[in-house]
Amino acid sequence: MNFTDIIIDGLLAAVAGIGFGSISRPPKRAFLYIAILSAVGHALRFYLMKGLNVDIATASFCASFAIGSLSLWFGRITFCPVTVLYIPALLPMVPGMYAYKSVFALIKFMNHLKDSDLAGKYMQEMFSNAVVTFSTVFMLALGATVFIFIFPKKAYSMTRRAN
Amino acid sequence: MNDDENIKKFARFIAEYASFLLGSGVHTSRVIRNSSRISESLGMKIHMTTFQKTIILTVTDDEHLQTHTEVVEIPGLPINFEYNSELSSLSWEAYDKHLTLDELQRKFQEIKNYSKMNPNLIILLVGLANGAFCRLFGGDVWAVIIVVLSTMIGFYLRLKMQHKGINHFIVFTVSAFVASFCASSALLFDKTAEIAIATSVLYLIPGVPLFNGMIDILEGHSLTGGSRLVQAFLLILCIAIGLSGSLLLFQNSLL
Repeated sequence: MNFTDIIIDGLLAAVAGIGFGSISRPPKRAFLYIAILSAVGHALRFYLMKGLNVDIATASFCASFAIGSLSLWFGRITFCPVTVLYIPALLPMVPGMYAYKSVFALIKFMNHLKDSDLAGKYMQEMFSNAVVTFSTVFMLALGATVFIFIFPKKAYSMTRRAN
Repeated sequence: MNDDENIKKFARFIAEYASFLLGSGVHTSRVIRNSSRISESLGMKIHMTTFQKTIILTVTDDEHLQTHTEVVEIPGLPINFEYNSELSSLSWEAYDKHLTLDELQRKFQEIKNYSKMNPNLIILLVGLANGAFCRLFGGDVWAVIIVVLSTMIGFYLRLKMQHKGINHFIVFTVSAFVASFCASSALLFDKTAEIAIATSVLYLIPGVPLFNGMIDILEGHSLTGGSRLVQAFLLILCIAIGLSGSLLLFQNSLL
């Protein structure tokens, strides 16, 4: 892994953030900032996981913490609530692959109920995938929301245009 | 000033405002905060209880010792963050400029009629996004191109079906099946076909309800948060069923 890999990862994540974000129709002025946030977050997680061998949940927490802190600053510029900026930016980091692998393991478990060895293996696969999905989504939400808990006044008045 | 008729009119407005916000995918605490802010600017207090499908709210006017209760259904609208930010702005405007109820109603209607993003542009952006995702997971150029095209087909179908008001779960299952069915064409000439098929349905993952549910739970609204997570879980189940349909057709095995 070198520096270019991280940059490419960030650029691809920016495209993914804009695209997945556009499904939930953010205001047009927010798109640039959503792209920056997704790039920074995903590239940071990529570096932590591949470079420093951090696990996916902890790396996701660090990435969303970075996204949360930046969105507090960008929210002031764009007059958007912080969630409008950080939820689309977090979307590329949702572990969707783990989520449906867990369901596949459930289907396979049902198929091999009579073979206890295989059934046990698929049961374990289902649980580990489900736990990874749940803890990663939880850590992503927590990392970005922590800032709302620390600076409630600031985070709640992003859309105030007067003064 | 706040006679009986006025309080009813106001309660109806707030009920519409809050249910519209919750319906377009705003987390619970923001909806309550925005609604209380508007009420405060008009010299009233509100207490809200929110569920997945209904809101119960009581408006009180301390000065005249009057109360009025409204129960509203939350409409199932598509997620829209533009409403989220504009309607939050409106609540601050009401607070800072002390808008009257008529002005508030007019501005609310204006925001509701905002020009919408071109759906074709969204389809293109979603396709590119899923293509970028495929690349992130290590797919080669052909896999990326196939994923972009099959995502666009799948997402177009999803929009069409949602427009017709078909059941959510059916929409997700069918779109997942069609997108992965198209992506299975990668099997003909591609070494990274499995990555293409697996990423072709990722655009359907209900990320916004997942995060809103988690945020709600973190902020103490466990009931609404929990029901959002349950909905998201069921949608993921539908995606997996749709995907497994085409996997069993073409590969005779799951991933």
